[in-house]
Amino acid sequence: MISALKNDLESIFKDIQISAPEDDRLIINAQKDAVLTILKFFKDKGYDHLAMISCTDWIEEDEFELIYIVGSYSVYAPAAEDITSDKSGVSKEAAFNGGNILLKTRISRKDPRFITAIPVFENSEPYEREIHELFGVDFKGHPRLTPLFLEREYKIPPFRKDFDTRRYVKDFFDQIPFVENKEK
Amino acid sequence: MDRNDIKKWFKSPDKMGDKYSLWAIYFCTGCGIIEIPPVITARWDAERFGVIPVATPRQSNLFLITGYVSVKTLRAIIRTYEQMPEPKYTVGFGSCPINGGMYWDSYNTIKHLDKYIPIDGWIAGCMPRPEAIFVAVTHLWTLIDQGKAKAYVKYREKYGLYRKNQEMALGKLDWPPLYTTGGGND
Ligand code: SF4
Repeated sequence: MISALKNDLESIFKDIQISAPEDDRLIINAQKDAVLTILKFFKDKGYDHLAMISCTDWIEEDEFELIYIVGSYSVYAPAAEDITSDKSGVSKEAAFNGGNILLKTRISRKDPRFITAIPVFENSEPYEREIHELFGVDFKGHPRLTPLFLEREYKIPPFRKDFDTRRYVKDFFDQIPFVENKEK
Repeated sequence: MDRNDIKKWFKSPDKMGDKYSLWAIYFCTGCGIIEIPPVITARWDAERFGVIPVATPRQSNLFLITGYVSVKTLRAIIRTYEQMPEPKYTVGFGSCPINGGMYWDSYNTIKHLDKYIPIDGWIAGCMPRPEAIFVAVTHLWTLIDQGKAKAYVKYREKYGLYRKNQEMALGKLDWPPLYTTGGGND
């Protein structure tokens, strides 16, 4: 199943590396301009569920990596006739539920911009908002990149590797005095 | 009721009343809130100790802060605390509100809760077991008996200092001061 998908992908998209470390997992490394088309490809195949978007800061390589995890509630769902009568009761095909697709792409760290995936998966809205807040990646076309979790403003977005949390704690939280000490 | 307590009841009915009617505000923060459902329900039954959770701060007099406090939660905690009628008791729960715990170098959790609101007692641990909550409650009884659970009085007296700390963490607060007098205000 996953190998058929792999062949499909390889014939359509040129510039991508695909690996399938497990029976139900596909890891795709793609160029950034191909991301939306690949997401669309999966959506048309019945992968209707964007589980999450996540971000990794590769500071030494000066790049951010965006990871889209796509799954499915409907594709390859075991149809009644797929359930064979061998010992386990369920054929391998039927048990396969589409697996997880991990789509990875790299963007520059100096100028962290990307395009929003909302046109394909509407629920990317909060994930992109979160990545914007914690990594400072700008998603073009996103309707509201306003703060989601954080209450304070940070000079460097706090999930970047060059954000020095200990310095921050020292400069900010530790500067607030204890009420007892203040009286003296 | 313990017969030996009858004398106490006659001597200071208010203290005894406070002791055995601890209404805990059901405010969930951090991991510790996981311990609260078994504590208040049949398994450990907090009602044996006179502790009942209530929904709104205006009906409660015990505030359990059950874990790490993010800057955003701090705002809610202060508002909740200020709405509670006096006398009110606060207990910090777990190492996170005490000194940061394992979030000691986090960018977004406040490390010492007692910089922002006064605390009557702490329960150390990560995470404290439900039994520890009951130990804390009995300690709180002792403190109330001895007239030492007076954090709310301290809040009133030093409100200015507390408010200043709160503003350092949260920026300008969008609600008016609770008291107009008290350390730093005058
Ligand atoms: S003290 Fe431990 S269990 Fe409690 S909030 Fe902190 S990390 Fe979680």
